[in-house]
Amino acid sequence: MVIKKGKFTIEGLENVQINIDKVTSSDEEKEEPQGPTPAPDIHELRDWDMRLLKRYEPVYSPICDLCCYCTYGKCDLTGNKEGACGINMEAHQAREAMLRTLTGAAAHAGHGRHLLNHLIKRFGADHPIDVGPSDIKAPVTQTVLGIKPETIGDFVPVLDYVEEQITQLLATTHIGQEGSAIDFESKALHAGMVDHVGMEVSDIIQISCLDMPKSQADAPLVDVGMGIIDSTKPVLLCIGHNVAAVTYIMDYMDEHDLFDKIELAAICCTAHDMTRVNPKAKVVGSLSKQLKYIRSGIPDLIIVDEQCIRADMMRETSKLHIPVIATNDKVMYGLPDRSKDDIDDIIRDLASGDQPGVLLFDYDKVGELAPKLVMKMAPIRKEKGITALPSDDEFKKLASSCTQCGACVIGCPQGLEIDKAMEAAVEGNLTLFEELHDKCIGCGRCDVECPKNIPVLDVIEKASQKVIREEKGKLRTGRGQVGDPEIREEGVNLVLGTTPGVVAIIGCPNYPDGSRDVYEIAEEMLQRSYIVVTSGCSAMDIGMFKDDEGKTLYERYGGGFLKGNLLNTGSCVSNAHITATTIKVAAIFARRDITGNFEEIADYVMNRIGAVGLAWGGSTQKALSIGTGCNRLGIPVVLGPHGPKYRRAYPGKAYDKDKWNILDARNGSVHNVEPAPEHLLISAENKAELMPLLAKLCFRPGDNNLGRMLKLTHYNDLSEQSLDVLPDDWHIYVRSEADLPLAKREKLLKILEEEHGWKIDWDRKKILEGPARKVDISFQPTNVPRLCKGAVE
Amino acid sequence: MAAKELDTTRNAVPFDKANIPGPKMAKAVKAEVAGKFISKAKRPLLIVGTAAGDDGVIEIVRTMAGKGIPVAATGSSLKRLKEEGIDATYVNLHALVSYLKDPDWKGFDGKGGYDTTIFLGHTYYYASQLMSTLKNFTKIKVISIDRHYHPNAGQSFGNLKPDDFIKALDVVVAQL
Ligand code: SF4
Ligand code: SF4
Ligand code: SF4
Repeated sequence: MVIKKGKFTIEGLENVQINIDKVTSSDEEKEEPQGPTPAPDIHELRDWDMRLLKRYEPVYSPICDLCCYCTYGKCDLTGNKEGACGINMEAHQAREAMLRTLTGAAAHAGHGRHLLNHLIKRFGADHPIDVGPSDIKAPVTQTVLGIKPETIGDFVPVLDYVEEQITQLLATTHIGQEGSAIDFESKALHAGMVDHVGMEVSDIIQISCLDMPKSQADAPLVDVGMGIIDSTKPVLLCIGHNVAAVTYIMDYMDEHDLFDKIELAAICCTAHDMTRVNPKAKVVGSLSKQLKYIRSGIPDLIIVDEQCIRADMMRETSKLHIPVIATNDKVMYGLPDRSKDDIDDIIRDLASGDQPGVLLFDYDKVGELAPKLVMKMAPIRKEKGITALPSDDEFKKLASSCTQCGACVIGCPQGLEIDKAMEAAVEGNLTLFEELHDKCIGCGRCDVECPKNIPVLDVIEKASQKVIREEKGKLRTGRGQVGDPEIREEGVNLVLGTTPGVVAIIGCPNYPDGSRDVYEIAEEMLQRSYIVVTSGCSAMDIGMFKDDEGKTLYERYGGGFLKGNLLNTGSCVSNAHITATTIKVAAIFARRDITGNFEEIADYVMNRIGAVGLAWGGSTQKALSIGTGCNRLGIPVVLGPHGPKYRRAYPGKAYDKDKWNILDARNGSVHNVEPAPEHLLISAENKAELMPLLAKLCFRPGDNNLGRMLKLTHYNDLSEQSLDVLPDDWHIYVRSEADLPLAKREKLLKILEEEHGWKIDWDRKKILEGPARKVDISFQPTNVPRLCKGAVE
Repeated sequence: MAAKELDTTRNAVPFDKANIPGPKMAKAVKAEVAGKFISKAKRPLLIVGTAAGDDGVIEIVRTMAGKGIPVAATGSSLKRLKEEGIDATYVNLHALVSYLKDPDWKGFDGKGGYDTTIFLGHTYYYASQLMSTLKNFTKIKVISIDRHYHPNAGQSFGNLKPDDFIKALDVVVAQL
C-alpha cells in the first residue's frame, strides 16, 4: 500500500483520524545542513592547509637546480637563490610539485569529462547513479561540493567545478603570480583534493552505466600475467585508462561469439575496467609490462585510449606490423583521422601496412573493426614470420657482443647490473637475467644507451622466457566503493582499533626491487589483520604471486571491508573510493555531517582513522595527485625510494614537541600528544624499512587502549622482524599500561623503568609516572579551534 | 710496471646518466682529500644506507665509528650494523634531512646539529635526491664516499670499480 498525504480511517477504529504528512523509514538519511565550504575556492580551505603545513613542514629535494620557465632565464636557483623574476628555489619547488599534482588531477578530470560526455550521449543525463547498497553515493563529491548527485547528469556541474579549479590553479604558475612556497603547497593540496572529486566522478559514472561490480566483495576473479595469453589465437591488446571505446569491442565480441576465437587482453587501467565490464577479458599486467609485451610481438592489434601509454608506440609497433587504433584525442600520435571512412577501407589500409595506425573516434566502428581486423592480422603476421624476440643463436651472438662497458647500467633508472647478466648469459647462465626481469620496469633506456646497439630489453625478455611463461596469476576485479552496510559493520572496529589499520597499496610499478615486494607487503599486513586496499598497477602486481599451494592473495583473502581482507577497488580513478571510505566512516560511524564540510571531516580522519597510503612504485603525476589528495584529507602516504623525485615531502618532527599540540573539542583545552601520525608524506629506502613505518603511521591521537595496544604490537613486531630492534620511539606511544601488548607487557614495563626512568607499581603492574599523557576515552582530538565547544566562529 | 695509482677522481659522471642537477656539481676528490676533510669536521655524521652490506664497507664503518664519528643507520642497515656490534641510531633518511635542515635540531646526542655529513652505502637515486635537499637548503657539508659519483654532494668519488672502492675507503680512514 502506498500511503499518500491526506486523511483516512482505519477499519474498526471509529472516529480516529490520522494525519500523515511525511513518511520516513528508519533508514532514511537525515537531511544534512550545508557545511561551511561547499565547492571551495582556492583560499577557502587554506586555514586547514596551514595547520597541516605547520606541523608537516615541506621538505624539498630539487631534481633540477634551475628554473627554465621563462625567457629571463634559465636561472640558477642553487642554494635557495632567487631567479630573475624573484622566485626562490623553495617556492619554485613547491610550484613544481603543485604543477605535477595538477597534471595528475587534469589527467583524471579530463578522463572523467570524456567519459561523462560519452555516457550522457549513450545513456542520457537522467541515467541514475547506482554504486551498490549505499545512501551516501558520492562521498567525496558530497564532502567537497556539498551536493548529492542522483543521476549521471548531476555530475556535469561537479566536473565544471573541478575544471574551474584546475584552470585557476594552473594560472598561478604563470610568471608574476604566486611567489610563496607555502601558498603553492596549499594550492597543491587543493589540486589533490579536486583530483579525488574528478576520479570519483569517473568511476561512479562508469560503474553506474557499464554494469561494473557495485560494492561487490566477491567480484569475479580474472587471469593476470604475461603468461596467460593464448598466442595461437589472434591477440587484441588494449592499453590505457578509458574503457569507453573498448566496451563496444566487448559488445561486438559477445554478440558474435568471438570470445573463444580472440584473446582480448589489456595493460594498465583499461585492463581493470575491461574486466569489470566483462570478466572474459584478460589482464596482461602493469605499465612495466607495456614495452615488454609489445616487443614480444604477440599482439596482432593494439587499441590505445589515454594515460600511461608509451610515447614510442608507433615506432615499436610499426617494426612488428602491429596496427594501432587510437580512440581518444589525448593520444593521437600524428595519425590520420579515419572516423568517417568505411570500415573495410580502414581494415585494408591497416592490414596492408599502408598505414601503421589510425584515429577512430566513432566507437561503433571501433567495436566492429577491431575484432575483424585482429582476425585478419593474425594470419598475415604469422605468414610474414614476424618473430620479435631474438632466436637462440641471435641471443648468444648478442650477449657475446657485449663488452661490459656498463653504459646500459648507467642509463638504467634502476641501476640494474645488466653487464654482469650478459657475461653470465654467455656462459649459459640465465639466472641473473631472470632475476633482473622482475626488477626491470621495461623502460627501454638501456637499448638507447648501448654503444653496441644491443636491444637489451629484448635480450632480457628472451633470457626470461621460462619465468614469463609461468607468469600467471589471479586478480579480483575492481569492486568499486565500500558500501554503507560494510562501514556500519567495520567502522567501529577501525575507529576503536580492533582492526589495526587500513593500508592502501596504490599506484605505479616503479618499485625499487621488483613487483614481488608489493605482494609480500600486502601478505604481511593481511596476516596481521590490517585491511589492505589496492588499485591500479599495484593491484595487478599483487595478484602475480602465489603461495606454496599455488594460490594468489585474492584467492586466499576475502574482498570485503573487513579486517584481514584484500580489496581491489579497481582502476586508478577508483582510488577515490579509498578516500571516500574514510569519509563514510566519519559520516556513518561518527555521524558527522559531511555535506560541504571538508575541513571537519579531514580533521576527523586525521585524528581517528588509522589509514595509510602506500605508492611504493609511484611514478606518474597521477600518483602524486592521488597522494596529495589523501594528504589534504589527513591520510599519510609513504613513497618508495624513487619518491623524492617528486621533489617534495611532508615529514614530521617527532622531537619538536610544540608541533604536537592538539585541542580537546569538549572544552578547547590544549593537549600535547604523541606524534601521530608522525609524517604526512615520506619515503622509505626499502621494504624492510617500510614495514614498521606503515604500522607506525596507523597510530592516531584518538586511539583507545585496545587499538593502541594492537597497533603497538604490530609496530614493535615489524621493527624487530625487519630491523632487529625494538623501535627507539615505541615508548612515546604508551599512555598507560593498557596500551602495552599483553604478551610482552612485563618485558616492556621493565624497559620503561630501566631505560626511560618511568615509575612502575610492580604489584599492580601499573604505570605510575612517565607517559606524556593519560588516555581519556572521551577526549575529542581536533586541530580546528572552531570545532571546540563554546568556540566563537 | 709500477702499480697503478689509485685515482678516485676519474670517471666523475653521474651514475644515473641524466642526473645532472645544474651548474653546481660535486667536486671529484682523491681519497686522501676526502679523509682529511672528514677529519677536520667538528660535528661529522656518518650516514650508512642499506647497500653497505659488503664486509669491506662494514669494516670501514666500524673504523669510523671507532674514531668517534656517530653513525646514522638509514633504510634497513641497522640490522647489519648491530650484528657487527657497531653502535648506530636508526633514522629514516628523508626524515633525517628534514632534521638536518632545522637549526633547532639538537642531533642524536642532544648536543647540536652536524656540520658535515658523510654518505656511504645508499640506493643511488634515493641518496642523490636527499643530498639535493642538503645542498640547496643547508650549509652542511656533504661528502659522498660511495662507489658512484654523486653530483648533489659537495665532494664525491668518481665511479669506481669495486676493488678500487674498498682501497679508497681504506685511504679515507687512514686519514682520520
Ligand atoms: S628496460 Fe629495464 S634494464 Fe633497461 S634501462 Fe629500463 S629498467 Fe633498466
Ligand atoms: S651498454 Fe651494451 S655493451 Fe655496454 S654493458 Fe650494456 S649491453 Fe653490454
Ligand atoms: S597505477 Fe600508475 S602506471 Fe599504473 S596505470 Fe595507474 S598511473 Fe599508470
